[in-house]
Amino acid sequence: MLDSYTHILESVAALDDEPQAEAVIERLIEHLASSGRVKLLPQIHAELRKIAARRKALAPMVEVASAEERPTALAEARAAGIDATEASVNHSLVKGWRARGRGRLIDKSAKAALIGIYQKVTN
Amino acid sequence: MQSIIERIEKEIASWKPDAGSEEAGTVRAAGDGIAEIDGLTGAVMSEMIIFDPTFDRTLEAALKDPNPVFGLVLNLEEDGVRAVILGDSAKVYEGMLVRRVGRLLSIPVGESLVGRVVNPLGESVDGKGPTGETVLRPIEREAYGVIDRAPVNVPLHTGIKAVDSMIPIGRGQRELIIGDRGTGKTSIAVDTILAQKYEPKERRPICIYVAIGQKESKTAKIVAELAERGAMDYTIVVTAPASSPAALQFLAPFAGAAIGEFFMDRGDDALVVYDDLSKQAVAYRQMSLLLRRPPGREAYPGDIFYLHSRLLERAAKLSEAKGGGSLTALPIIETQENDVSAYIPTNVISITDGQIFLESDLFNKGQRPAINVGLSVSRVGSSAQTKAMKRISGKIKLSLAQFRELEAFMQFSSDLDADTKKQIDDGRRMTQVLTQGKGAPLPFQMEAAIIFAATNGYLDAFSPHEIPAIEKKLRDYLDREAGGILEAIKESKEIREETEASLREKLTQFVQRATNA
Repeated sequence: MLDSYTHILESVAALDDEPQAEAVIERLIEHLASSGRVKLLPQIHAELRKIAARRKALAPMVEVASAEERPTALAEARAAGIDATEASVNHSLVKGWRARGRGRLIDKSAKAALIGIYQKVTN
Repeated sequence: MQSIIERIEKEIASWKPDAGSEEAGTVRAAGDGIAEIDGLTGAVMSEMIIFDPTFDRTLEAALKDPNPVFGLVLNLEEDGVRAVILGDSAKVYEGMLVRRVGRLLSIPVGESLVGRVVNPLGESVDGKGPTGETVLRPIEREAYGVIDRAPVNVPLHTGIKAVDSMIPIGRGQRELIIGDRGTGKTSIAVDTILAQKYEPKERRPICIYVAIGQKESKTAKIVAELAERGAMDYTIVVTAPASSPAALQFLAPFAGAAIGEFFMDRGDDALVVYDDLSKQAVAYRQMSLLLRRPPGREAYPGDIFYLHSRLLERAAKLSEAKGGGSLTALPIIETQENDVSAYIPTNVISITDGQIFLESDLFNKGQRPAINVGLSVSRVGSSAQTKAMKRISGKIKLSLAQFRELEAFMQFSSDLDADTKKQIDDGRRMTQVLTQGKGAPLPFQMEAAIIFAATNGYLDAFSPHEIPAIEKKLRDYLDREAGGILEAIKESKEIREETEASLREKLTQFVQRATNA
C-alpha cells in the first residue's frame, strides 16, 4: 500500500504540474483520513524524500579539473548523452573532466589515467 | 637535462584522454557482505563488478590503496542489481562507484597452480608469492552434454581395500562420501589423493582438494600431510575457510571445478574433492536470505538443488573426440545423527552416482573406514573395476551384509551350528582384512593379492583378532618375495592363470611359515 501511494505521488511529481499535484495531495490526505490510515503519511513522506535523494545522487553531473575546461566538457558530455546544465570544479582530477548520468560514466581525467598506469605497474 | 624536462612537460600538456563511456552504478546500501546497487541495468547474472575506491578520493589518497573490491552480481532487479562482495566488505560504502567488468566471474587456472594453495579467486594464500602462467576461465560453465561424454570405464583407485573392492569408483564418476562429524570422511578423500602416487605419472590424475568452511588449522594440517607424503606434487588446494565471507565459501567448489576442467579439457584426468557441500549449502542459504530471495525447506532457497546439480554435473569422462580427459568428483556431506533423509543429503544422494556411507556406530566399534556396506553403493564404478578386482571381490559385499545380519541375530542365541559359526568367523575375518588405518592407502596390486588371500581361504587358519598382524606380515612377505607377481597384476590388471598359480604357491608358503612361527 505504501509503495502504491508513493508511486502515485512520484508519477504526479513527474508531470511538473503544481496545481494538479496540490489537488492530488489534498485528496490523498482526505482519503487517508477517511480510511483511518493517516499514520501512513510520515512513511510516505520518508519514502518520497528517499526517492528525491536518490534522484539527486543519480542526476547527470559533470566535473572538470579547471574552470577553463567547462565548455568543452559540457559540450562533449552532451554529445555523449549526458545532459548536465553545469560543471563543478574538482581539482583532484588533475586535468580533463568526467561525467556521470543515465547509468554511464565517461572519465577523461588525468587522475583516472594515472591510477590506471599505477595499477598496471604495481600489479 | 633542461631539454628533457621541457620535452616531458610538452608531452604532458599535449596529453589527450581517450577513455570511452562505460556503464557505472552507485552503491545504494551495503552490509553483511551484500551490496544493493543503483544502475548497472545491463549487467548479467554472475558478472563480475568492481567497487572503485579511487573515484571519490584525491589522487594521493587513491594511490595509497588503489586496489578495487570485487563483487558478483546475483540478483537482477528493475532499477539496479544486488551483488555479493568478494572481499573486505568494510571498504564498500554508500554512494561508492561500481563498474562492470564485462565478463563472468573468472579465475586464473593452469599448470602453475599445482602444488599451491589458492583462494576461490585463484589468489595464492600459501605465502609462496603469485602463481605462474595461467589462463582465465569462468567459474560457472555449462556441463558437457551426452554426445561429448564417454562411459565411465577407467578405475580410480582409492588405495582403500573396502572401497576398491566393494564400492569401486571410476574416472569421471561422482561418488558421495557421507556421514556424521568425525567418522572419517575427509580421511577417505585424503587417502584417495595419497593413493594417486602409486599411479604412473602419465595416468596420474591432478587432485584438487576444496576446503569449504573448514578451520584453517585443519586445512593447514591436510596440506602439511600432503606435502610430507609428496602428494602436493600433483595436488592443488582451494580454501575458503570458516572465517571467509559466505560468498567465497559458495564459490570455492565452482573454482575447484573450473581448475579441474582445465586439466580435463586438455585430455588429462583430474580428481576434485569438495569438503564439504553441506557448508557450501549453508553459505548459499545465508547469501540467499540476505539477497531477500524467498526461503523454502529448512530456509534453503528454492534453487539449492540446482546449485549442487550444476556443480556435480561438471564431473565427466569425455569422449575421445573431446580428448578423453576426465573429472572425478568426491563431494562430502555431513549428516546429523546419521540422518541421510535430511534435505541436503537426499538432494546430493540423488545427484551423485553412488555414496560411501560412514556410520558413527561402526567408527566407535573401531572399524576403519567405518563404511556401512548395506547403505553404500557405486552405480557406475563396477564397469570401471579391473578384471582382477572384479573377480576376487565379487561376493564380499553380499557375504559381509549376511554376516552383519547374523551378527545381530547372534546376540539372541549362543548355540550356533557349525555352518553359521563359520560364516560369522569368515565375516569377522573379512572385516579385519578390510580394516585399514588412516593415511595408509595401498597400491592396487597389493589390495588384489590380500583380498585374493582372504577370499580363497588362505587366512582361515588365523583367528579374526590375529588378522591385522598377519596382514602386515603378508604385505611385507609379498613385497619381499612376490615382486614379480605383484608387477604382473599391476601390468595386466587381472590375475591370469600362471600368475594365480604362482600367487597360490607363495600364499601357501606364507601360511605355512606363519602357522609354524
